Amino acid sequence: MDAAEAIHQKFVAKVRAGNLPRRTSGVEPADIGLSREAMVELFYSQVASRQMDRLSRRLQARGEGFYTIGSSGHENNAAVADALRVDDMAFLHYRSNAFQIHRSKKLPGQTPCWDMLLSFAASAEDPISGGRHKVIGSKPLAIPPQTSTIASHLPKAVGAAFSIGIARMLKLEHTELPRDSVVLCSFGDASANHSTAQGAFNTAAWAAYQGTPMPLIFLCEDNGIGISTRTPPGWIGASFRNRPGLDYVHCSGLDMADAWRGARDAARIARTQRRPVFLHMDCVRLYGHAGSDVQATYLTRAQIEQDEERDPLLYSAALLVEQEALSERDILDIYNETEATLARVAEQAIARPKLTTSKDVMASIVPPRRSPARANTPTPEQREALFERDRNMIDKPQHMARLLSWALADLMLAHPEIIVAGEDVGPKGGVYNVTAKLHERFGSCRVINTLLDEQSILGLGIGAAHNGLLAITEIQFLAYVHNAEDQIRGEAATLSFFSNGQYTNPTIIRIAGLGYQKGFGGHFHNDNSLAVFRDIPGLILACPSNGADAVEMLRECVRLALEEQRVIVFVEPIALYMTRDLHEEGDSLWTSTYAAPGSAKPVRLGELGVHGSGTDLAIISYANGYYLSRQAERILSERHGLASRVIDLRWLAPLNEDGLIDAVAGCERILIVDECRRTGSQSEALMALFAERAPGVECRRIAAEDSFIPLGRAATLTLPSRDSIVAAALEMVRG
Amino acid sequence: MAEKEAALIVCPGRGTYGKSELGYLKRFHSDKGEPIASFDRLRSERGQPTISELDGADRFSPALHTRGDIASPLIFAASYADFLAIDRSRYDLAAATGNSMGWYTTLAVAGAVGPEQGFRIIDAMGENSQAGEAGGQVLLTLVDEEWKTLADLREQVLALAAAIGARDGCSLHVSIELGGMIVFAGNEAGLAALLAEAPPTPARDPLRLVNHGPFHTPLMAGSSKRAMAQLPADWFGSPEMPMIDGRGHIWRPFASSPSALHDYTFVTQILETYHFTRALQVAVKEQAADRIILLGPGDTLGGAIAQALIAIEWRGLRSKRDFQEMQASDPFLVSMGREDQRGLVTS
Repeated sequence: MDAAEAIHQKFVAKVRAGNLPRRTSGVEPADIGLSREAMVELFYSQVASRQMDRLSRRLQARGEGFYTIGSSGHENNAAVADALRVDDMAFLHYRSNAFQIHRSKKLPGQTPCWDMLLSFAASAEDPISGGRHKVIGSKPLAIPPQTSTIASHLPKAVGAAFSIGIARMLKLEHTELPRDSVVLCSFGDASANHSTAQGAFNTAAWAAYQGTPMPLIFLCEDNGIGISTRTPPGWIGASFRNRPGLDYVHCSGLDMADAWRGARDAARIARTQRRPVFLHMDCVRLYGHAGSDVQATYLTRAQIEQDEERDPLLYSAALLVEQEALSERDILDIYNETEATLARVAEQAIARPKLTTSKDVMASIVPPRRSPARANTPTPEQREALFERDRNMIDKPQHMARLLSWALADLMLAHPEIIVAGEDVGPKGGVYNVTAKLHERFGSCRVINTLLDEQSILGLGIGAAHNGLLAITEIQFLAYVHNAEDQIRGEAATLSFFSNGQYTNPTIIRIAGLGYQKGFGGHFHNDNSLAVFRDIPGLILACPSNGADAVEMLRECVRLALEEQRVIVFVEPIALYMTRDLHEEGDSLWTSTYAAPGSAKPVRLGELGVHGSGTDLAIISYANGYYLSRQAERILSERHGLASRVIDLRWLAPLNEDGLIDAVAGCERILIVDECRRTGSQSEALMALFAERAPGVECRRIAAEDSFIPLGRAATLTLPSRDSIVAAALEMVRG
Repeated sequence: MAEKEAALIVCPGRGTYGKSELGYLKRFHSDKGEPIASFDRLRSERGQPTISELDGADRFSPALHTRGDIASPLIFAASYADFLAIDRSRYDLAAATGNSMGWYTTLAVAGAVGPEQGFRIIDAMGENSQAGEAGGQVLLTLVDEEWKTLADLREQVLALAAAIGARDGCSLHVSIELGGMIVFAGNEAGLAALLAEAPPTPARDPLRLVNHGPFHTPLMAGSSKRAMAQLPADWFGSPEMPMIDGRGHIWRPFASSPSALHDYTFVTQILETYHFTRALQVAVKEQAADRIILLGPGDTLGGAIAQALIAIEWRGLRSKRDFQEMQASDPFLVSMGREDQRGLVTS
């Protein structure tokens, strides 16, 4: 017999016979203010969750349902919903049906059963994902949808909680989360071991340890097993009971009154003391991980039966009978009527329309536009005061790093919701001084030195975005982003898609990277692969080659984040940060005078930079490759009489394909120069583009070798150089 | 035996006992001693004309029969009697909801108050509102000929109403969201401005609802206070079936606090917009009943119900024509006030 049906029959038989378990706690509901009506309402939520699990399996068997990871055994997370407010943002894991059902009762007009069944049926009318995924989520209930099974939503929960305190201190007006709200995130005992989760616990505790407000509840629903691997008994309690900076509250997930007591205590700590709390709820996993999981392959019959005896619904029934809130008959009536009702609802839900075209599926990858709060228009006096200490430099040509730091300062002056965060971005001004003086200009609330954990830095940016802040985070070196890439790939970039554009997390991630750094090199500082960003739907990847472009592109990125809610990676070529000259020492051709916002010439998303108009050859490149191509172009012109043009991509994703085809129009040859590794680099996409759309034009590429970057003088051996570009161009021309 | 169908009960509001409903109780419920007799007794004790007398009058008098203290108890009695006439061997009652004063009826049919208490509530509230606050209601119809909401017109009207409500001396609020219609309520100045300035509404001209007060607005504060003082919380108990209120909140058996229900009924419900559309939509989505039974008298709420269903394309309904076709073949909405449909749900 199906495990779900076995537990169902056991429940019915035991309630009918009055054979109910002894409660696991001595918590007296009246003593903690839990009324009979409130207990019955919780029970309704639990039963609806349970019956929905059973129904999901029946729907799957009929080919009408597409998800069977259930919430059975975790139904007391409804008590956590009861202890929190509807505007306390909740990042929930996938066993949270009862939580969502119960929270919906705090906001009249909600239809949780209908909504969830649409989600099971992958209907285009599913109000959270629009039929894209079975997720727990709701816009009106402040539950952003999560798809992760590995607790990768925890860093952003930390970021969201952190942002509440920041918004409060900055007195920001247009935030999403009330200033006295708390953030909840839930996960299982198995995923608590994940490095991402551990990083989130550590970050929250690290912040709280030094007095930073962190109104956050980590709800660990400990069912003792992760798919087939048992959690060592006592492991979660032993791991979290005594962590510095983290309060610990334990409660039973079998006993509704104790669960409610624990949730209420945790909520009180988080809300009134604004400290992070680890709420450890003992749960049980009934009927395996998902519909396809057969527990008998890794658990003994005795172990399975032992778990089945711990069905929280039976314990809820015992409590309700003991408290004279319901009779056994009432309990069975509720249970059976809920089953019948949900079955009727399901028949209507499965008849609703599905997604039918790829266009429909993709409609929410790029978030909808919005009208953000108007930016301040700083007065000339405010700007003068801001740049007082740079007065003597600001109208003189400068290198990229300084220009970027000024652009950041102007953007922060105009947009009070912008914060800057990263390792050493504070008083030190970052490794390359790009955030220089921002800390003294805007203070610790807006220029935030983080701990050494890239997942947490990105989580901060993503989480703060859930609260209406725009974080410009900094990853110190490109190679460091790889341990945290899922925060971009799996979390930030997917949010709009899985929420049908209802939730967004606009953010800008500045990353210093790429090769050619004089006297340095080495893989960790000069990594030259951007492949990790190139295939993420909807992500914008910007990569300026010079200071003037960098300023305008950063401003465009802020516009894209604020108005179009985009997730943006802004890669800054380290080697060009301080570069002043192009051809000869002292020519200062790679410097620019800072363009104040009033005299800005926007570089819009996708806009290419084109130097020259020759038709013998079009060289396409970006960042250092563009810089070197510009050097090569003069040699090709002066020494070899070749008339070429050099095209700076500026924006690597999305690639402006039409613009590129236009930009090479009339050229006889195309040479692609890519400083990133040959495999997976932009050059592959460009070769494919021209093969498909300009098949008559000769097209070649030079790219970095598939090597890691060595140190010192060997650092550039695997990379394209000015001379290799010249050589490749001549080879093309000479045939 | 065929399986029982699940039915959603909808209780009508004011304005449903008109000329053609005169004699409704006599026509359909002369077999019922109780509860009509007890309703009559309650009114006699207070020196009021009985329900049976009013229903049995020779002719319909708008001045008399539409007054709050007359219409409300008449409607309640007819609805409640209809409710009792439903063939329970064929229908399980999944949930109940209602429109405006239909909420009081809902309380009674769901068993959250007894029938006599329900009658006393309705009688008191009818009198209370009749004696009550100055102002009234105007109904605007904002759908096209296929009963689809005209979204732009709706936005325009809501913006106009908000602007009028902000003027000195004017009070104007959304009183009831009623399918494709909105009932506005306010003081005389506010209503006059709305009638004068409302854009053309293609389906039907704006209609002033005779003898109605400014229900479901803050103008009813006095009425709310009197109700709280007159009508005790201990009349309230647990409903026997889910009730969906005028916010779309579901009150469930054993899970509803009598004092919270009392507060909602006599404070929130009286002072805030009644979202009948939402209540109906919540009810159909969360219960997915096999049939909707609209209690009598009359069937005027049927249009609002159909419009609320069309708005969410319930059961694939996209237009008035779809609705009429469904009704002609197998009525999803059974109006007990219609003689041709009543028999579908009575024994």
